[in-house]
Amino acid sequence: MSDTNEHLDKLMQELRRGTLTIGVLSQLFEPQYGYSLVASLEERNFHVEPGTLYPLLRRLEKQGLLESKWDTNEARPRKYYLLSETGKEVFTQLVDEWKSMVGSLENLLQNKGGS
Amino acid sequence: MELIERYIYAVTHRLPQSQREDIAKELRGLIEDMLEERGHEGQVTEKQVEEVLLELGDPRKLADKYRGTKRYLIGPELFDHYLMVLKIALIATGVVIGATFVIQVMLDPSSILESFISLIVSTVNGIPMAFGWTTFGFAVIQFVGAKQLNVNLQEKKSWNPSDLPVVPDPKGRVKRGDAIAGIVFYTIFIAIFGVSNEYFGVWFFEDGKFHNVIPFFNEDLYGYYFLFIVLMFGFGIIKECLKLIYGRWTMKLVIFTLIVNVISGIGLLFVIAEPAIWNPNFMSQLVESGLVVAQSETYNVISFIWGKVTYWLFILWLFALVWDVIDGYIRVRRSKRSE
Repeated sequence: MSDTNEHLDKLMQELRRGTLTIGVLSQLFEPQYGYSLVASLEERNFHVEPGTLYPLLRRLEKQGLLESKWDTNEARPRKYYLLSETGKEVFTQLVDEWKSMVGSLENLLQNKGGS
Repeated sequence: MELIERYIYAVTHRLPQSQREDIAKELRGLIEDMLEERGHEGQVTEKQVEEVLLELGDPRKLADKYRGTKRYLIGPELFDHYLMVLKIALIATGVVIGATFVIQVMLDPSSILESFISLIVSTVNGIPMAFGWTTFGFAVIQFVGAKQLNVNLQEKKSWNPSDLPVVPDPKGRVKRGDAIAGIVFYTIFIAIFGVSNEYFGVWFFEDGKFHNVIPFFNEDLYGYYFLFIVLMFGFGIIKECLKLIYGRWTMKLVIFTLIVNVISGIGLLFVIAEPAIWNPNFMSQLVESGLVVAQSETYNVISFIWGKVTYWLFILWLFALVWDVIDGYIRVRRSKRSE
Protein backbone atom coordinates (compact mmCIF):
# COMPACT_ATOMS: atom_id res chain seq x y z
CA MET A 1 0.00 0.00 0.00
CA SER A 2 2.75 2.43 0.94
CA ASP A 3 4.44 1.46 -2.31
CA THR A 4 1.35 2.56 -4.24
CA ASN A 5 1.36 5.85 -2.37
CA GLU A 6 4.97 6.42 -3.21
CA HIS A 7 4.35 5.92 -6.92
CA LEU A 8 1.27 8.10 -6.75
CA ASP A 9 3.23 10.86 -5.04
CA LYS A 10 5.90 10.91 -7.70
CA LEU A 11 3.42 10.84 -10.56
CA MET A 12 1.31 13.57 -8.97
CA GLN A 13 4.42 15.72 -8.60
CA GLU A 14 5.14 15.41 -12.29
CA LEU A 15 1.54 16.07 -13.19
CA ARG A 16 1.38 19.15 -10.98
CA ARG A 17 4.58 20.65 -12.29
CA GLY A 18 3.09 21.31 -15.71
CA THR A 19 -0.40 22.28 -14.65
CA LEU A 20 0.90 24.67 -12.00
CA THR A 21 2.38 26.97 -14.63
CA ILE A 22 -0.94 27.14 -16.49
CA GLY A 23 -2.80 27.83 -13.25
CA VAL A 24 -0.41 30.57 -12.23
CA LEU A 25 -0.40 32.28 -15.61
CA SER A 26 -4.21 32.23 -15.69
CA GLN A 27 -4.42 34.43 -12.59
CA LEU A 28 -1.95 37.07 -13.68
CA PHE A 29 -3.94 39.15 -16.16
CA GLU A 30 -4.25 41.46 -13.15
CA PRO A 31 -1.10 42.21 -11.11
CA GLN A 32 -0.74 40.09 -7.99
CA TYR A 33 1.95 39.57 -5.42
CA GLY A 34 3.04 36.11 -4.42
CA TYR A 35 0.95 35.56 -1.35
CA SER A 36 -2.24 37.05 -2.79
CA LEU A 37 -1.78 34.63 -5.67
CA VAL A 38 -1.48 31.70 -3.24
CA ALA A 39 -4.75 32.84 -1.66
CA SER A 40 -6.61 33.37 -4.91
CA LEU A 41 -5.52 29.96 -6.21
CA GLU A 42 -6.49 28.37 -2.90
CA GLU A 43 -9.94 29.97 -3.16
CA ARG A 44 -10.45 28.10 -6.40
CA ASN A 45 -9.28 24.83 -4.84
CA PHE A 46 -5.89 24.97 -6.53
CA HIS A 47 -3.37 24.26 -3.80
CA VAL A 48 0.20 25.50 -4.12
CA GLU A 49 3.00 25.83 -1.59
CA PRO A 50 4.49 29.33 -1.34
CA GLY A 51 7.91 27.67 -1.36
CA THR A 52 7.13 26.38 -4.85
CA LEU A 53 5.25 29.38 -6.16
CA TYR A 54 7.80 32.08 -5.35
CA PRO A 55 10.71 30.49 -7.22
CA LEU A 56 8.34 29.68 -10.10
CA LEU A 57 7.26 33.33 -10.40
CA ARG A 58 10.88 34.38 -10.61
CA ARG A 59 11.64 31.80 -13.24
CA LEU A 60 8.67 32.87 -15.36
CA GLU A 61 9.81 36.47 -15.01
CA LYS A 62 13.31 35.53 -16.13
CA GLN A 63 11.85 33.72 -19.13
CA GLY A 64 10.00 36.91 -20.04
CA LEU A 65 6.47 35.55 -19.53
CA LEU A 66 5.90 37.82 -16.54
CA GLU A 67 6.74 41.38 -15.66
CA SER A 68 7.24 42.59 -12.14
CA LYS A 69 7.12 45.79 -10.15
CA TRP A 70 7.86 46.58 -6.54
CA ASP A 71 5.09 48.43 -4.71
CA THR A 72 6.51 50.27 -1.75
CA ASN A 73 3.42 52.35 -0.90
CA GLU A 74 1.86 49.70 1.31
CA ALA A 75 2.84 48.84 4.85
CA ARG A 76 5.31 46.26 3.58
CA PRO A 77 6.96 46.30 0.16
CA ARG A 78 5.51 43.78 -2.25
CA LYS A 79 6.58 42.53 -5.61
CA TYR A 80 3.70 42.43 -8.08
CA TYR A 81 3.75 40.12 -11.08
CA LEU A 82 1.78 40.58 -14.30
CA LEU A 83 1.61 38.72 -17.63
CA SER A 84 3.81 40.29 -20.28
CA GLU A 85 2.70 40.49 -23.92
CA THR A 86 4.66 37.31 -24.68
CA GLY A 87 3.18 35.76 -21.57
CA LYS A 88 -0.36 36.45 -22.79
CA GLU A 89 0.37 34.90 -26.18
CA VAL A 90 2.01 31.85 -24.66
CA PHE A 91 -0.83 31.44 -22.20
CA THR A 92 -3.50 31.52 -24.92
CA GLN A 93 -1.72 28.84 -26.91
CA LEU A 94 -1.03 26.83 -23.78
CA VAL A 95 -4.75 26.80 -22.94
CA ASP A 96 -5.56 25.49 -26.44
CA GLU A 97 -2.99 22.74 -26.04
CA TRP A 98 -4.31 21.90 -22.62
CA LYS A 99 -7.89 21.62 -23.86
CA SER A 100 -6.99 19.35 -26.70
CA MET A 101 -4.91 17.23 -24.29
CA VAL A 102 -7.82 16.96 -21.85
CA GLY A 103 -10.10 15.98 -24.76
CA SER A 104 -7.89 13.23 -26.06
CA LEU A 105 -7.12 11.91 -22.60
CA GLU A 106 -10.82 11.86 -21.75
CA ASN A 107 -11.37 9.89 -24.92
CA LEU A 108 -8.69 7.41 -23.87
CA LEU A 109 -10.12 6.99 -20.40
CA GLN A 110 -13.59 6.25 -21.76
CA ASN A 111 -12.31 3.58 -24.10
CA LYS A 112 -9.88 1.72 -21.89
CA GLY A 113 -8.08 -0.92 -23.88
CA GLY A 114 -10.05 -4.17 -24.00
CA SER A 115 -13.02 -3.13 -21.88
CA MET B 1 12.56 38.54 14.56
CA GLU B 2 15.96 36.91 14.52
CA LEU B 3 14.73 33.48 13.44
CA ILE B 4 13.22 34.95 10.26
CA GLU B 5 16.46 36.68 9.35
CA ARG B 6 18.36 33.49 9.96
CA TYR B 7 16.01 31.62 7.65
CA ILE B 8 16.27 34.25 4.93
CA TYR B 9 20.04 34.23 5.21
CA ALA B 10 20.09 30.42 4.99
CA VAL B 11 18.25 30.66 1.66
CA THR B 12 19.89 33.70 0.08
CA HIS B 13 23.53 32.98 0.85
CA ARG B 14 23.20 29.96 -1.46
CA LEU B 15 22.08 32.19 -4.33
CA PRO B 16 23.94 34.49 -6.72
CA GLN B 17 24.86 37.85 -5.20
CA SER B 18 22.80 39.80 -7.72
CA GLN B 19 19.51 38.16 -6.69
CA ARG B 20 20.04 38.01 -2.94
CA GLU B 21 18.61 41.36 -1.93
CA ASP B 22 15.51 41.08 -4.06
CA ILE B 23 14.72 37.54 -2.93
CA ALA B 24 15.35 38.44 0.72
CA LYS B 25 12.90 41.32 0.49
CA GLU B 26 10.27 39.15 -1.16
CA LEU B 27 10.73 36.31 1.34
CA ARG B 28 10.48 38.67 4.28
CA GLY B 29 7.19 39.98 2.91
CA LEU B 30 5.95 36.43 2.38
CA ILE B 31 6.74 35.34 5.93
CA GLU B 32 5.06 38.43 7.36
CA ASP B 33 2.01 37.79 5.18
CA MET B 34 1.87 34.20 6.35
CA LEU B 35 2.11 35.24 9.99
CA GLU B 36 -0.54 37.89 9.48
CA GLU B 37 -2.93 35.43 7.86
CA ARG B 38 -2.75 33.28 10.96
CA GLY B 39 -3.93 36.24 12.96
CA HIS B 40 -0.64 36.79 14.69
CA GLU B 41 -0.45 40.44 13.84
CA GLY B 42 1.42 42.61 16.27
CA GLN B 43 2.76 40.04 18.64
CA VAL B 44 4.28 36.90 17.31
CA THR B 45 5.74 34.11 19.36
CA GLU B 46 8.74 32.10 18.38
CA LYS B 47 6.53 29.02 18.03
CA GLN B 48 4.33 30.71 15.45
CA VAL B 49 7.34 31.77 13.43
CA GLU B 50 8.64 28.23 13.59
CA GLU B 51 5.35 26.95 12.24
CA VAL B 52 5.52 29.27 9.25
CA LEU B 53 9.15 28.44 8.55
CA LEU B 54 8.36 24.73 8.74
CA GLU B 55 5.68 25.25 6.14
CA LEU B 56 8.19 26.94 3.85
CA GLY B 57 10.50 23.97 4.32
CA ASP B 58 14.22 23.29 4.25
CA PRO B 59 16.05 26.48 3.19
CA ARG B 60 18.47 24.42 1.13
CA LYS B 61 15.63 22.99 -0.94
CA LEU B 62 14.06 26.40 -1.33
CA ALA B 63 17.38 27.80 -2.55
CA ASP B 64 17.62 24.90 -5.03
CA LYS B 65 14.21 25.80 -6.39
CA TYR B 66 15.25 29.42 -6.79
CA ARG B 67 18.41 28.43 -8.55
CA GLY B 68 16.63 26.02 -10.86
CA THR B 69 19.80 24.08 -11.66
CA LYS B 70 21.83 21.59 -9.71
CA ARG B 71 25.30 22.60 -8.68
CA TYR B 72 28.36 20.61 -9.62
CA LEU B 73 32.05 21.04 -10.22
CA ILE B 74 32.26 18.85 -13.30
CA GLY B 75 29.02 18.26 -15.14
CA PRO B 76 27.77 15.02 -16.64
CA GLU B 77 28.70 16.12 -20.17
CA LEU B 78 32.39 16.35 -19.18
CA PHE B 79 32.54 13.56 -16.64
CA ASP B 80 33.52 10.74 -19.04
CA HIS B 81 36.42 12.73 -20.43
CA TYR B 82 37.41 13.74 -16.92
CA LEU B 83 37.58 10.12 -15.75
CA MET B 84 39.67 9.11 -18.74
CA VAL B 85 42.21 11.94 -18.37
CA LEU B 86 42.32 11.33 -14.62
CA LYS B 87 43.17 7.67 -15.19
CA ILE B 88 45.96 8.56 -17.60
CA ALA B 89 47.36 11.21 -15.27
CA LEU B 90 47.33 8.87 -12.28
CA ILE B 91 48.93 5.98 -14.18
CA ALA B 92 51.65 8.24 -15.58
CA THR B 93 52.37 9.76 -12.17
CA GLY B 94 52.49 6.34 -10.53
CA VAL B 95 54.85 4.93 -13.14
CA VAL B 96 57.19 7.94 -12.97
CA ILE B 97 57.33 7.73 -9.17
CA GLY B 98 57.93 3.97 -9.31
CA ALA B 99 60.64 4.32 -11.95
CA THR B 100 62.35 7.02 -9.93
CA PHE B 101 62.41 4.70 -6.95
CA VAL B 102 63.89 1.82 -8.97
CA ILE B 103 66.56 4.09 -10.44
CA GLN B 104 67.47 5.47 -7.04
CA VAL B 105 67.80 1.99 -5.55
CA MET B 106 69.96 0.86 -8.44
CA LEU B 107 72.18 3.90 -8.13
CA ASP B 108 72.65 3.54 -4.43
CA PRO B 109 71.37 0.25 -2.99
CA SER B 110 72.71 1.00 0.49
CA SER B 111 70.34 3.91 1.04
CA ILE B 112 67.27 1.93 0.10
CA LEU B 113 65.48 3.14 3.22
CA GLU B 114 65.88 6.78 2.21
CA SER B 115 64.74 5.94 -1.30
CA PHE B 116 61.71 4.21 0.16
CA ILE B 117 60.87 7.22 2.30
CA SER B 118 61.17 9.53 -0.68
CA LEU B 119 58.97 7.08 -2.63
CA ILE B 120 56.27 7.45 0.01
CA VAL B 121 56.72 11.21 0.14
CA SER B 122 56.43 11.61 -3.60
CA THR B 123 53.42 9.29 -3.66
CA VAL B 124 51.68 11.33 -0.97
CA ASN B 125 52.57 14.55 -2.80
CA GLY B 126 52.34 13.45 -6.40
CA ILE B 127 49.09 11.50 -6.56
CA PRO B 128 46.94 14.26 -5.02
CA MET B 129 48.75 16.75 -7.23
CA ALA B 130 47.87 14.83 -10.41
CA PHE B 131 44.33 14.42 -9.09
CA GLY B 132 44.07 18.06 -8.10
CA TRP B 133 45.40 19.57 -11.31
CA THR B 134 43.26 17.34 -13.50
CA THR B 135 40.18 18.22 -11.48
CA PHE B 136 41.11 21.88 -11.48
CA GLY B 137 41.60 21.89 -15.23
CA PHE B 138 38.22 20.31 -15.82
CA ALA B 139 36.50 22.59 -13.31
CA VAL B 140 37.85 25.56 -15.27
CA ILE B 141 36.62 24.07 -18.55
CA GLN B 142 33.23 23.50 -16.92
CA PHE B 143 33.07 27.00 -15.52
CA VAL B 144 34.23 28.79 -18.64
CA GLY B 145 32.62 26.46 -21.13
CA ALA B 146 29.23 25.96 -19.48
CA LYS B 147 27.53 28.47 -21.77
CA GLN B 148 29.32 27.14 -24.82
CA LEU B 149 28.26 23.61 -23.94
CA ASN B 150 24.66 24.69 -23.60
CA VAL B 151 24.82 26.17 -27.08
CA ASN B 152 26.26 22.92 -28.38
CA LEU B 153 23.54 20.90 -26.70
CA GLN B 154 20.90 23.11 -28.25
CA GLU B 155 22.46 22.73 -31.66
CA LYS B 156 22.29 19.00 -31.21
CA LYS B 157 18.51 19.24 -31.13
CA SER B 158 18.46 19.32 -34.93
CA TRP B 159 19.89 15.83 -34.86
CA ASN B 160 19.63 13.59 -37.88
CA PRO B 161 19.74 9.78 -37.97
CA SER B 162 22.36 10.04 -40.71
CA ASP B 163 24.64 11.68 -38.11
CA LEU B 164 24.90 8.34 -36.34
CA PRO B 165 28.45 7.04 -36.47
CA VAL B 166 28.98 3.68 -38.12
CA VAL B 167 29.45 0.83 -35.69
CA PRO B 168 33.19 0.37 -35.98
CA ASP B 169 34.56 -2.90 -37.22
CA PRO B 170 36.62 -4.49 -34.41
CA LYS B 171 39.66 -4.12 -36.65
CA GLY B 172 39.02 -0.42 -37.13
CA ARG B 173 38.54 0.31 -33.45
CA VAL B 174 41.27 2.15 -31.60
CA LYS B 175 42.41 0.08 -28.66
CA ARG B 176 42.10 2.42 -25.70
CA GLY B 177 44.67 0.48 -23.70
CA ASP B 178 47.24 0.93 -26.48
CA ALA B 179 46.63 4.65 -26.76
CA ILE B 180 46.77 5.15 -23.00
CA ALA B 181 49.94 3.06 -22.76
CA GLY B 182 51.39 5.27 -25.51
CA ILE B 183 50.60 8.46 -23.62
CA VAL B 184 52.06 7.04 -20.41
CA PHE B 185 55.18 5.93 -22.29
CA TYR B 186 55.74 9.36 -23.86
CA THR B 187 55.15 11.13 -20.54
CA ILE B 188 57.66 8.94 -18.75
CA PHE B 189 60.28 9.52 -21.40
CA ILE B 190 59.82 13.26 -21.31
CA ALA B 191 60.12 13.10 -17.52
CA ILE B 192 63.25 10.96 -17.65
CA PHE B 193 64.96 13.12 -20.26
CA GLY B 194 63.86 16.32 -18.60
CA VAL B 195 64.85 15.49 -15.06
CA SER B 196 67.60 12.95 -15.27
CA ASN B 197 69.09 12.94 -18.74
CA GLU B 198 72.52 12.53 -17.20
CA TYR B 199 71.52 9.05 -16.06
CA PHE B 200 70.68 7.96 -19.57
CA GLY B 201 73.68 5.91 -20.46
CA VAL B 202 75.86 3.03 -19.39
CA TRP B 203 76.05 2.82 -15.63
CA PHE B 204 79.41 2.21 -14.17
CA PHE B 205 79.62 0.65 -10.73
CA GLU B 206 82.58 0.43 -8.45
CA ASP B 207 82.57 -1.88 -5.41
CA GLY B 208 78.86 -2.43 -5.87
CA LYS B 209 78.16 1.29 -5.58
CA PHE B 210 77.11 3.55 -8.36
CA HIS B 211 80.06 5.51 -9.56
CA ASN B 212 79.55 7.13 -12.89
CA VAL B 213 77.50 7.23 -16.06
CA ILE B 214 78.83 7.17 -19.55
CA PRO B 215 76.10 9.12 -21.28
CA PHE B 216 74.66 8.08 -24.61
CA PHE B 217 74.04 11.68 -25.53
CA ASN B 218 76.31 14.58 -26.13
CA GLU B 219 75.88 16.70 -23.05
CA ASP B 220 77.05 19.85 -24.78
CA LEU B 221 74.07 19.59 -27.07
CA TYR B 222 71.68 18.86 -24.22
CA GLY B 223 69.39 21.82 -24.93
CA TYR B 224 69.19 20.93 -28.59
CA TYR B 225 68.17 17.34 -28.19
CA PHE B 226 65.96 18.00 -25.23
CA LEU B 227 63.85 20.38 -27.30
CA PHE B 228 63.76 17.83 -30.08
CA ILE B 229 62.68 15.03 -27.76
CA VAL B 230 59.98 17.10 -26.08
CA LEU B 231 58.61 18.10 -29.48
CA MET B 232 58.71 14.54 -30.77
CA PHE B 233 57.07 12.99 -27.72
CA GLY B 234 54.73 15.93 -27.34
CA PHE B 235 53.43 15.29 -30.84
CA GLY B 236 53.19 11.63 -29.94
CA ILE B 237 50.94 12.47 -27.00
CA ILE B 238 48.73 14.67 -29.19
CA LYS B 239 48.44 11.81 -31.67
CA GLU B 240 47.42 9.28 -29.02
CA CYS B 241 44.89 11.74 -27.60
CA LEU B 242 43.36 12.15 -31.04
CA LYS B 243 43.07 8.38 -31.32
CA LEU B 244 41.27 8.27 -27.98
CA ILE B 245 38.91 11.08 -28.98
CA TYR B 246 38.01 9.53 -32.33
CA GLY B 247 37.73 6.03 -30.89
CA ARG B 248 37.99 4.44 -34.31
CA TRP B 249 40.18 4.74 -37.33
CA THR B 250 38.79 7.20 -39.82
CA MET B 251 40.34 8.85 -42.84
CA LYS B 252 40.53 12.09 -40.86
CA LEU B 253 42.49 10.39 -38.11
CA VAL B 254 44.86 8.85 -40.63
CA ILE B 255 45.48 12.30 -42.10
CA PHE B 256 46.09 13.75 -38.64
CA THR B 257 48.49 10.92 -37.89
CA LEU B 258 50.20 11.53 -41.22
CA ILE B 259 50.69 15.23 -40.46
CA VAL B 260 51.99 14.58 -36.94
CA ASN B 261 54.28 11.82 -38.13
CA VAL B 262 55.65 13.90 -41.01
CA ILE B 263 56.58 16.61 -38.50
CA SER B 264 58.21 14.02 -36.23
CA GLY B 265 59.93 12.51 -39.25
CA ILE B 266 61.38 15.86 -40.32
CA GLY B 267 62.68 16.25 -36.77
CA LEU B 268 64.27 12.83 -37.04
CA LEU B 269 65.95 13.65 -40.33
CA PHE B 270 67.48 16.72 -38.69
CA VAL B 271 68.91 14.48 -36.02
CA ILE B 272 70.33 12.02 -38.50
CA ALA B 273 71.95 14.94 -40.27
CA GLU B 274 73.33 16.01 -36.90
CA PRO B 275 74.99 12.92 -35.44
CA ALA B 276 76.61 15.14 -32.83
CA ILE B 277 73.59 14.42 -30.67
CA TRP B 278 75.34 11.23 -29.61
CA ASN B 279 78.20 11.35 -27.18
CA PRO B 280 81.25 11.49 -29.51
CA ASN B 281 83.54 10.22 -26.77
CA PHE B 282 81.38 7.27 -25.81
CA MET B 283 83.92 4.61 -26.78
CA SER B 284 86.94 6.35 -25.27
CA GLN B 285 85.02 6.96 -22.04
CA LEU B 286 84.16 3.27 -21.91
CA VAL B 287 87.85 2.47 -22.14
CA GLU B 288 88.75 5.09 -19.55
CA SER B 289 86.28 3.62 -17.10
CA GLY B 290 88.11 0.33 -17.38
CA LEU B 291 85.05 -1.59 -18.50
CA VAL B 292 86.54 -2.41 -21.87
CA VAL B 293 90.11 -2.80 -23.00
CA ALA B 294 90.94 -0.74 -26.05
CA GLN B 295 91.20 -2.63 -29.35
CA SER B 296 90.11 -5.92 -27.72
CA GLU B 297 87.48 -8.07 -29.36
CA THR B 298 84.79 -6.80 -26.99
CA TYR B 299 85.80 -3.25 -27.83
CA ASN B 300 85.38 -3.92 -31.53
CA VAL B 301 82.00 -5.55 -31.02
CA ILE B 302 80.69 -2.71 -28.85
CA SER B 303 82.13 -0.12 -31.17
CA PHE B 304 80.41 -1.80 -34.10
CA ILE B 305 77.09 -2.06 -32.25
CA TRP B 306 77.35 1.54 -31.04
CA GLY B 307 77.92 2.78 -34.54
CA LYS B 308 75.08 0.75 -36.00
CA VAL B 309 72.55 1.29 -33.22
CA THR B 310 72.85 5.07 -33.23
CA TYR B 311 72.20 4.99 -36.95
CA TRP B 312 69.58 2.26 -37.19
CA LEU B 313 67.60 3.50 -34.22
CA PHE B 314 66.52 6.49 -36.27
CA ILE B 315 65.83 4.42 -39.33
CA LEU B 316 63.68 2.07 -37.26
CA TRP B 317 61.89 4.99 -35.68
CA LEU B 318 61.27 6.53 -39.09
CA PHE B 319 59.95 3.19 -40.26
CA ALA B 320 57.64 2.99 -37.21
CA LEU B 321 56.24 6.43 -38.05
CA VAL B 322 55.53 5.38 -41.63
CA TRP B 323 54.03 2.08 -40.49
CA ASP B 324 51.77 3.91 -38.03
CA VAL B 325 50.15 5.74 -40.94
CA ILE B 326 49.95 2.69 -43.22
CA ASP B 327 48.47 0.60 -40.42
CA GLY B 328 45.81 3.26 -39.80
CA TYR B 329 45.01 3.40 -43.49
CA ILE B 330 44.64 -0.37 -43.72
CA ARG B 331 42.33 -0.38 -40.71
CA VAL B 332 40.12 2.26 -42.29
CA ARG B 333 39.95 0.26 -45.53
CA ARG B 334 39.14 -2.96 -43.73
CA SER B 335 36.38 -1.48 -41.62
CA LYS B 336 34.90 0.19 -44.73
CA ARG B 337 34.90 -3.06 -46.66
CA SER B 338 33.00 -4.96 -43.97
CA GLU B 339 30.24 -2.35 -43.81
